[in-house]
Amino acid sequence: MSALLQLTNVNRSFGGVHAVDDVSLEIEQGTIFGLIGPNGAGKTTLVNLVTGYMRPQSGSIKLLSPAAPAPEKGSNSPPPLAGEGRVGAVELARRPPHAVAGMGIARTFQTLRLYRNLTAIENVLAGMHLRRRDDTLQQLIPIPALLKEDRRRLQHARELLERVGLPPETFGERRAATLSYGDQRRLEVARALALNPHLLILDEPAAGMNPAEKDRVRALIQQLNQDGLTVLLIDHDMRLVMGVCRHIAVLNFGRKIADGPPATVSQDPAVITAYLGSQAQKTAAHVPGSEEMDIATTSTPVSAEPTSPLLDVRDLQVSYGAIQAVRGISFGVAKGEIVALIGANGAGKSTILNSLSGVLRPHSGVARFGDLDLTTAPPDQIVRQGLVQVPEGREILARLTVRENLELGAWARRNGHSAHRDIEGLMKQFPILGQRRDLPAGQLSGGEQQILAIARGLLAQPKLLLLDEPSLGLAPQMVDTVFDVIKKIHNDGVTILLVEQNALRALEIADRAYVVETGRILLSGTGAALRRNPEVQKAYLGG
Amino acid sequence: MDFFVQLFTDPVGFYNQHELLIAQIGINAILAISIFVTFYSGQLTLANAGFMAIGAYTTVILSLYLPMPLPVDMLIGALLAGAIGFLVGLPVLRLRGVFLAIATIGFVEALRLGVILNVPITGEGQGLKNPSADPLGGIVPILISVPILTYLVWRLTHTRLGQAWAAIREDELAASSNGINVPVYKMVAFIISAVVAGYAGALETHINFFVDPTEYSVTRTIQILTFAVVGGTTNVIGPVVGAVFLTALPEIVRQFAAYRDVVNGVILILVIVFRPQGIVGRGGLAIIAPRWWTRWRTRERAAAAH
Repeated sequence: MSALLQLTNVNRSFGGVHAVDDVSLEIEQGTIFGLIGPNGAGKTTLVNLVTGYMRPQSGSIKLLSPAAPAPEKGSNSPPPLAGEGRVGAVELARRPPHAVAGMGIARTFQTLRLYRNLTAIENVLAGMHLRRRDDTLQQLIPIPALLKEDRRRLQHARELLERVGLPPETFGERRAATLSYGDQRRLEVARALALNPHLLILDEPAAGMNPAEKDRVRALIQQLNQDGLTVLLIDHDMRLVMGVCRHIAVLNFGRKIADGPPATVSQDPAVITAYLGSQAQKTAAHVPGSEEMDIATTSTPVSAEPTSPLLDVRDLQVSYGAIQAVRGISFGVAKGEIVALIGANGAGKSTILNSLSGVLRPHSGVARFGDLDLTTAPPDQIVRQGLVQVPEGREILARLTVRENLELGAWARRNGHSAHRDIEGLMKQFPILGQRRDLPAGQLSGGEQQILAIARGLLAQPKLLLLDEPSLGLAPQMVDTVFDVIKKIHNDGVTILLVEQNALRALEIADRAYVVETGRILLSGTGAALRRNPEVQKAYLGG
Repeated sequence: MDFFVQLFTDPVGFYNQHELLIAQIGINAILAISIFVTFYSGQLTLANAGFMAIGAYTTVILSLYLPMPLPVDMLIGALLAGAIGFLVGLPVLRLRGVFLAIATIGFVEALRLGVILNVPITGEGQGLKNPSADPLGGIVPILISVPILTYLVWRLTHTRLGQAWAAIREDELAASSNGINVPVYKMVAFIISAVVAGYAGALETHINFFVDPTEYSVTRTIQILTFAVVGGTTNVIGPVVGAVFLTALPEIVRQFAAYRDVVNGVILILVIVFRPQGIVGRGGLAIIAPRWWTRWRTRERAAAAH
């Protein structure tokens, strides 16, 4: 096997952040190559570098044995690779996206990018742009020969739709925007295939899909690969990636931390640490001897459920249009607890919080906070009753000062004097904020901003604080600081519902936790028990 | 009402009586086609009045100083508009959305206030007399041009070029992932639009004895934009229908002639609120097929499918 794509010491940073840090990779021809890594690891940036949407600051990206897709001549076979003859390598790093596509590299997008107002067929036809002869002048007076070409192109587009599982009779004439989420993802694959590529890059093709849909994606990828296509797959779903890929590279904070066959990678201590947090390694080492005992302890989680919870959620379902993000979830939080919801990206955790705080409206189910019905109460009333959310990504107001941000947090309160006293109190309690009170909040570091966001939440005098991914995008040291803050406010008597990707850190401080996967609760139990549970590792790494 | 009665009972008399109106409708239809081309490729450019001015002034100046057959003058005027379109497009097409709109408006005003009003050969603020104008003969090329241009642009949207435009309009990033050279295709649309607008300007000089610089201000561009918005931009018929409708409207509602702009404004608002895709949207004339009708039909079809 020879390499098709070769990355050497590729670098790209934004400001001071190394999004892709000295990454070297080699993708073999005919393989399915997986690229994985936690949120913000630099996977999509890497794809954008390869496909010309971003330029690397240094390093080289070479396509070996290249050949441009030949103009359509009625044949469906990929253009001949200059291949074994090795014409040479083409440097992709400085080429614009359309030129990279011209080299036979097709991609899909993490956030769907279909031509929403065109029909499914038109989407695929547009994907054939490079293979369509330039007929602009001739088409002005259509002659039969051209109509024949049109028909052949249409026929091929229909075949591609069929191939990805969208029968053209049913889907061909539908506007792309009206297709279901899963079908839209499939259509994007069909459009990418229309390029007749050598290399197909799939950026999270299974995001937001249910297990059955994921299985179909897996089958499609395998089918395409059997037909000779090289695939680069990026996904968060470890089961999908581990199941389908022959070779996997793992990124973390922009660096490649592992590279090898799936079996090796999933056992790699560095990978486990990246996914589960710094405590994982110890736990992983600890697992083999005590597995069965651990399962036994977690098999009776129901007894730990509170009898008269402060927050009571039953059979909650939330949808975004066609996508069901939360598929019937029940849990409770008792006064004084820290409860964690953990799970991979896209599992539905943030959606749960957003539907509790009134930002989203659930589809069906019960959510009660004391006497308040959270499914119908307006968000401002929810806050006044003491259920306060610290949103994912912090959402601080970057141009206002620290102090002004805090004053806004006290907005819902009538008594200005007590608010003022509380703000001063918080500044003392969190000296990081006190020292920076007159700085614009945008100048704080990520961790400081997170603490500011939590402090702002506290000013609304919460009985229950919802924390959404407080460690997101933070360096390990800062994560420690933030978790210390969480412990501290919990000791001051605030009940906490915590959503985290950094599972082991969350389990460390949580009284109880729920593992969420594709909108359902997979496991529940006390934090300590779940931490030792191999199933938790499996939910993350697909082991 | 008389207007319509005469149109159907006495078409020859109608034509003779409303010759200038018909010519104006034709000019506006061509301008609407011009803005359609850039709309179709997803660009909100408002430079049409400027290119029109280039076409108009070039034609008249040539016929004054360098007498050639009129079609040649007009052709040169249109092509010069295209050439300047290319030069303007180089910096301006890097912008998107409202910024592109503002930059192109800037071009229109810079051309009018900075060049036309200051360069002696354009007659400065006085405008230019056009000795070779022929209001009655000038209407013929207009009436021939409208259907031909409509047909050509309609075909164009079915070519590889037109397909690329549609893709760019829907999503530029995705278009480039399909190998579409986005900047080049945008430029081609901009140049074609400029040539068509320049041609419309050249045609217009032929029916007026006078080229008036105030004609080519932003107001004109906004008027052209209105044709496209009211008519709809899913296919080339939309803007043409919009141009015909809005140009004829003051004649139809004569009693409100003094409030022409008010009537136009009200219609524009009504269309945006009730028919955002324009009079001619996907699925033909909306006036004939209102929304409840389409909805009802979809439901019937869904029922039949089950």
